[in-house]
Amino acid sequence: MCALVLGVSCSDEFLEVPPAGSLGDAQLGTADGIEALLIGTYSALNGVFGNRFEGPNHWVTGSIMGGEANKGTDAGDYADINPIQRYEVNPTSGDLNNLWRGRFEGIARANRVLATITANPDALIAADAKRISGEARMLRGHFYFDLKKHFDKIPVFDETLPAEEVILVPNSGDAWAQIEADFQYAYDNLPAVTDAGRVNKWAAAAYMGKAKLFQGKFSEAITWFDDVIANGVTSNGLKYALLDNYAQIYNAENDNHAEAVMDVESANNTGSVQNANAFDDLNYPYNTGPDGPGNCCGFFQPSFSLANSFRTQANGLPLLDESYNDPANEVQNAFFWVIVDGNDEADFVQDAGPLDPRIDHSIGRKGIPYLDWIDHPGQAWIRSFPYAGPYSPKKYIYYKSQENSFTDGSSWTRGYATMNYTIIRYADVLLMAAEAEVEAGSLTKALDYVNQVRARAANPDFWVKKSDGSGDNAANYNISEYTAADFGSQDAARTAVRFERKLELSGEGHRFFDLVRWGVAAETLNTYLQYESQYLVTKFGGASFTAGKSEKYPIPQAQIDIQGSDVLSQNPGY
Amino acid sequence: MILKSDYHSLKSFTGKIRKSGNKVFSLLMGLVCTFALAAPTTSLKTVTAIEAFQSAITGTITDASGVPLPAANVVIKGTTTGAAADFDGNYSIQASPGDVLVFSYTGYNTKEITVGTSNVINVVLEEGLALDEVVVTGYTVESKRETTAAVSIVSAEELAAIPSGNVEQQLAGRVAGVTVITNGQPGTQSQVRVRGYGGFGGNQPLYIVDGVPIQSIDFLSPDDIATTTVLKDAAAASIYGARAANGVIVYTTKQGSRGNRKTNISINIQSGITDPNVAGSPKMLNPQEMAEWTHIAYRNNAAANGTAPQYTHPQYGSNATPTFPDYLHADGANGVSASDINLAQIQANYEADPENVFLIRPNLAGTNWYREITRVAPTSRVSVGFDGGNENGRFYVGLNMQSIDGILLSNSQDRYTARFNSEFDLAPWLSIGENFQVTYNSVVGQSGGNGGQGIAADESEVLSAYRMPTIIPVFDDFGSYASTRAAGFNNPRNPVRRLVQDRGDDKAFSASAIGNFYALIKPFEGFTFRSSIGGFYYNFNNLDYNYRYLGDSEPQASYSFGEGSEYGFSWTFTNTITYEKLFGEKHKIKVLVGQEAIEGTNTPVAAPRGRRIQGSGINPFSTDLDFVTMSAVQSPVVQSFIRKGVNFSSLFGQFQYNYDERYYISAVVRRDGSSVFGANNRFGTFPAFSGAWRVTGESFMDNQNLFQDLKIRAGWGQMGNSNNVDPANQYSLAASALDNTFYPIQGQNSGANEGFATSRIGNPDAKWETSTTTNIGFDATIIDNHLDIEFDWWKRDTEDLLFVVPLAGVTGNFASAPSRNVGAMLNRGIDLRVVYKGNFTEDFSFEFAVNNTFLKNEVVAFAPGIDFLDVGGQRGINPTRNQIGKPLSSFFGYDVIGYFESAADVAASPAQDGAGIGRFKYRDVDGDGVITPDDRTYLGDPVANYSGGATIDLKYKDIRMEMFWNWSTGLEIFNQSKWYRDFFGTFEGSAKGIAAFNSWTPELGNNASAPIWESAANLSTSGAANSWYVEDGSYARLQRLAFTYSFSQLVNNSNTLSKFEIGLSANNIWTITGYSGLDPVVGGNADVNFGVDVGNYPVTPSYLINVNIGL
Repeated sequence: MCALVLGVSCSDEFLEVPPAGSLGDAQLGTADGIEALLIGTYSALNGVFGNRFEGPNHWVTGSIMGGEANKGTDAGDYADINPIQRYEVNPTSGDLNNLWRGRFEGIARANRVLATITANPDALIAADAKRISGEARMLRGHFYFDLKKHFDKIPVFDETLPAEEVILVPNSGDAWAQIEADFQYAYDNLPAVTDAGRVNKWAAAAYMGKAKLFQGKFSEAITWFDDVIANGVTSNGLKYALLDNYAQIYNAENDNHAEAVMDVESANNTGSVQNANAFDDLNYPYNTGPDGPGNCCGFFQPSFSLANSFRTQANGLPLLDESYNDPANEVQNAFFWVIVDGNDEADFVQDAGPLDPRIDHSIGRKGIPYLDWIDHPGQAWIRSFPYAGPYSPKKYIYYKSQENSFTDGSSWTRGYATMNYTIIRYADVLLMAAEAEVEAGSLTKALDYVNQVRARAANPDFWVKKSDGSGDNAANYNISEYTAADFGSQDAARTAVRFERKLELSGEGHRFFDLVRWGVAAETLNTYLQYESQYLVTKFGGASFTAGKSEKYPIPQAQIDIQGSDVLSQNPGY
Repeated sequence: MILKSDYHSLKSFTGKIRKSGNKVFSLLMGLVCTFALAAPTTSLKTVTAIEAFQSAITGTITDASGVPLPAANVVIKGTTTGAAADFDGNYSIQASPGDVLVFSYTGYNTKEITVGTSNVINVVLEEGLALDEVVVTGYTVESKRETTAAVSIVSAEELAAIPSGNVEQQLAGRVAGVTVITNGQPGTQSQVRVRGYGGFGGNQPLYIVDGVPIQSIDFLSPDDIATTTVLKDAAAASIYGARAANGVIVYTTKQGSRGNRKTNISINIQSGITDPNVAGSPKMLNPQEMAEWTHIAYRNNAAANGTAPQYTHPQYGSNATPTFPDYLHADGANGVSASDINLAQIQANYEADPENVFLIRPNLAGTNWYREITRVAPTSRVSVGFDGGNENGRFYVGLNMQSIDGILLSNSQDRYTARFNSEFDLAPWLSIGENFQVTYNSVVGQSGGNGGQGIAADESEVLSAYRMPTIIPVFDDFGSYASTRAAGFNNPRNPVRRLVQDRGDDKAFSASAIGNFYALIKPFEGFTFRSSIGGFYYNFNNLDYNYRYLGDSEPQASYSFGEGSEYGFSWTFTNTITYEKLFGEKHKIKVLVGQEAIEGTNTPVAAPRGRRIQGSGINPFSTDLDFVTMSAVQSPVVQSFIRKGVNFSSLFGQFQYNYDERYYISAVVRRDGSSVFGANNRFGTFPAFSGAWRVTGESFMDNQNLFQDLKIRAGWGQMGNSNNVDPANQYSLAASALDNTFYPIQGQNSGANEGFATSRIGNPDAKWETSTTTNIGFDATIIDNHLDIEFDWWKRDTEDLLFVVPLAGVTGNFASAPSRNVGAMLNRGIDLRVVYKGNFTEDFSFEFAVNNTFLKNEVVAFAPGIDFLDVGGQRGINPTRNQIGKPLSSFFGYDVIGYFESAADVAASPAQDGAGIGRFKYRDVDGDGVITPDDRTYLGDPVANYSGGATIDLKYKDIRMEMFWNWSTGLEIFNQSKWYRDFFGTFEGSAKGIAAFNSWTPELGNNASAPIWESAANLSTSGAANSWYVEDGSYARLQRLAFTYSFSQLVNNSNTLSKFEIGLSANNIWTITGYSGLDPVVGGNADVNFGVDVGNYPVTPSYLINVNIGL
């Protein structure tokens, strides 16, 4: 009202309008405020900017680029992915920029938690200060790890550096040192048992082992993995173990299970589908109507090569000599039947050869029950058969019985499911441990680890059965454990362990990074392109992986434009 | 006398309206009848208050043919005392013998008459000089003769001529220096820019309605508007200081006139239809053509891949020659023949589950989806105005009802307004008055950001009409909407369903009140103190129903419902003192000082002070409209927001001096404070100076006949701007957001815990943007008063431009970055208005008026180290790059130099991802032998270098013909609708356009109008922004062609009738353009991202009948 008085004496007060609906530093420097900032940091695990490349499962940058799947759908849909899946990505890709931004946002949030704790030493009791800073550093280590494996050359800094100096940090930092320090701190300070959605000390230990493995520090990795395997529990107190039923790893009703070493929580009824698996909303069969889940949009179709990899020999072991793509071993499918051989789809004859049973937990194939939906009908669920092949994704798909109870129906598609994506699961730990043992330890232990994984897959109780109620297996499943003879040499063991990772972890976002750290990406992926492109000509014709370049994603040009090329230098070849 | 007939005519008119069933309107009419009857009574009571030394001079102001000049002005020379004539040209003014009365009217020569003994002075004005129009700045009123600044005036008649939901749309081509980009949605906001684009956002002009600053004028009825004045340069606008940098458009509403007289009633009726112009919409492939071209694409794919063709479309059979199935879809089966299905079973399945069972036959005749989503839309406006007064007071009451249906189904605007303006003298030295309007405005089915302005950039239902295959019928055999559940047609959704079902029940309406109360104190001659308090209140409500529909390939699986409610209130308190005096016959001074405080106002980026609550949820038990509320839905999400608006506190002053009406100088200074800035930079001071020289006032001009009037003007000034700053810009904050700070920390599968994250980085040092304007111009009248020329050359440099410097990703950039004063922009231009008028014969007169706007806009700086700003884009096509040295919103991409003609051509050309026969061949801009993102280049811009409008007005006896054209040239449009329509591989299976016929073949070569018809999508086909999309956006549009007949005989013979005209008009009937899209006027998300046409809502022809009655 003072403005009603002529004159300016009071206008300063009149012109003070505090902001609404937000909080300042004062309110956040409390125990509740710091806890809320920590939850904000967790929220960055599945991305911040709503870009699907930000998803924790790296379905494009890890799985598609690793040759486990292709974009799917048709040529024009989300065409930004087209050059990426052909290894023609350029630094102007907005998706990669969003991935970069999303992970650094996570780091910024973790840093704000840590800086707020430092600035308010009396806000928290000591136990909470240890726990919260441990969680924040664990998450920061994870974000750095993600950045490191994608971009390799990244800037590294912690919460003590002010923002105006952060932008001057060149991307030549020692990310591994920071990552290891964060995981070590988390391991030292985090409790084992806490809220199910939080990270615990065993997640830190397992991730530390993974970090060592990525650096080739195999014996150190073994130490960490041994500890995890012997003592690890989930944050809700379950002893780490493999689930009996492979398919149950991906079932929302089973979230926070014994195999979930570190996962990203997902929920419905939160007011935003971004808290469900929004990053996966496109990755369902297409135009299924009520017979199938999601309906949108036919992305992330498993590759021919992946399907063929599940071919086993008569002895139940995979074709480690890479002959699985030979014409005699290719898995028969609707594409070959219709497109290659020109037959009527209605007369389709199912592949009768021996297959690892995990194929039908991992890949939607014509004629095989699709979870509790109908039998996959083939072309009817595929957006463009000639463009993307015959397969549909099958992991991390919700069940018919879960519609609206474990999905969030509040947005434009039905495909917002709420199973947690598992960043590290126990089978992954066992296989990483096996790898480390092969390189620097005991082949016997490696054999044991691999066979634990295979034994679970070999339990016929949980193989996919025909939908006719006969109880018959849906296909000719045949799997067995390796013998000591199969692990007779380091090379043989290494081949078997690596192949087992492919089979066990397909579609979970690891493959590309595995191939790169093994140093076989160029060879493996060019072979893959050569094979796939004979069928998916429009998609892959003429594409190739460039050794020395394609192993790393380009530093986003948008960031170089902001920070300057003197601060952020581009990766080679871009 | 009059009273009775007034009442009678009112009553009968009210009756007519009642018959039309319009209850709200008749209610208002009833109110006004009461008001109108009461008014003359008031005048009787106060008639004794007349001062002895002054007397009321009354009379009629007419043109040479006796036609009254409504709202003609009369002022006592040397004072600010004035009055306006009523609709019959009657005026009344208090004056003393010896006072010189100056009579003026837009487009007529001013006349001066000294008051003698007679109290009745009838005046005949002759058409002539445009220089004597009244310039209303909001704080002052002056004659255009006296102004030293660049101002333009728009006649009220022009604004009312064409139906529009928002009168700002009507400024297109009417004012030199103003560009308008609008679209066909009723009630849409438009991109209105005065003299270019001052900054990177918030470039809309400031609107002043009866002294109250406001962001939108969509509530104003054109029939209520008395004057529209556009203040273009600093010398004119800077009296509004800090908010004036983008020009100011000042509206005043009608007022009665003093005088003991009858109450005039004016009735304006406008009614007609808008035609969607189906014939003018882009042509699509019919079902047969689509099937054939699908198979051609398969053959082209096979050729490119070196394989045998595979005919795999689920509908067209597997042979080279496509065939059609009996049913596109039959309960889950696709592309089946009648013999393969069991109709009885399907019927039974349908009855068991009607939402899920579809039976879709092909529509082999082809569905024209644009026709299906549009309609011939009725439009009507009825206004009734009452104006009256007595010696001590005057009033105006305006009632208006407007209903405009959009050409798109379920899109309409309905607006009811009631305006009450009045002014009374309480004492000879004290008058009080008010302007007040209440408005109900409902706009339903509008799309696009910024109140509809952004529709061209959206994937709207207009675009859907070009994505939905022609073979799909609107309805299936069960009467359900048919759609892409039928396989093979990709993912378009039936746009008729979307419009009818999902928008048909939606509501969106506001109730608002705007007005001010003021007091005028004139204690002695020449001195006026004016105090005004004004405010704006609104309440907005919306309801949004979206139905479950399972017939799309990507179905809408949940029913969703949302509703929201908000209010806002802001007020403006203004006090001004003016002193005006003539010294020694020739020295005239005028001084204005003032103070203004504004609380809680909105800006282009902030809502006014108030609150909003909104909620949404899904799947209520029943979808009965009487059942569905926020309490009935599942998973309800409710949010509410506090809004603070922006406060301003200002002091301003103006000094004007002229010597003998030959030499004029003016100085203005304004000091503004705004709450959007931190304490250290809160205030900005903005001066302006201008001068003019009336050359024709000099004695050496006495002996020439060429110039009847010549005035040379020059001005320089600075204006501030804070439009584009978030009110929280100065603060560093944290906030929670459902979508990206929540997390289910307990591991729960339902619900999430609230978290916080940095939401804003503050910049307490931000300060006012400064725009420096130089203006040089002249006003000339030549050829015996037949030709008027107004010419202005101007230059506008904007510095300290507030620019949101992008945060580096490494610092975390979820938070909003602050605006910093780092940018700079340059606009230059010429405004030229030429009016030529005269008579062919005594009965046959003409007027030609042309407005010309020449504009050059250029970004000078963003921030140190930043040379460009890329924004937005759809479907991976990101064509807009704002870059230094180019206009805002320029297009950027690869330059297509042709199509690859052979494998040898591919091999011989610079390496290009996706290169192939018949695909785009790009120019290797940097010459490094490989096509990389560095080869992208400037491809054009959507800023018109030249735009304008022309009016041709012919009058022969009682017949009048008016024609109005407007045009723009020197601009480009990025026609992104081609991405959806003209590549086979974009959403393969969806509808395609006839560009297929001219897609690349070896024979067509570089004469092809699209690349080879194939599935591939990569950099060399549909994967990048390139010059193929860029089209010349020049157009000229016949916006209005009208014939009006005045029943002058009838009027002359009537006691009650003062005006009776019937007119017919046709609007937007002819657009001359080479642009291939729906409409060459393409807005978008202004101002750093517009001119990209994803699917515009076109402006289409309308045909109207107009009836104007004066009683």
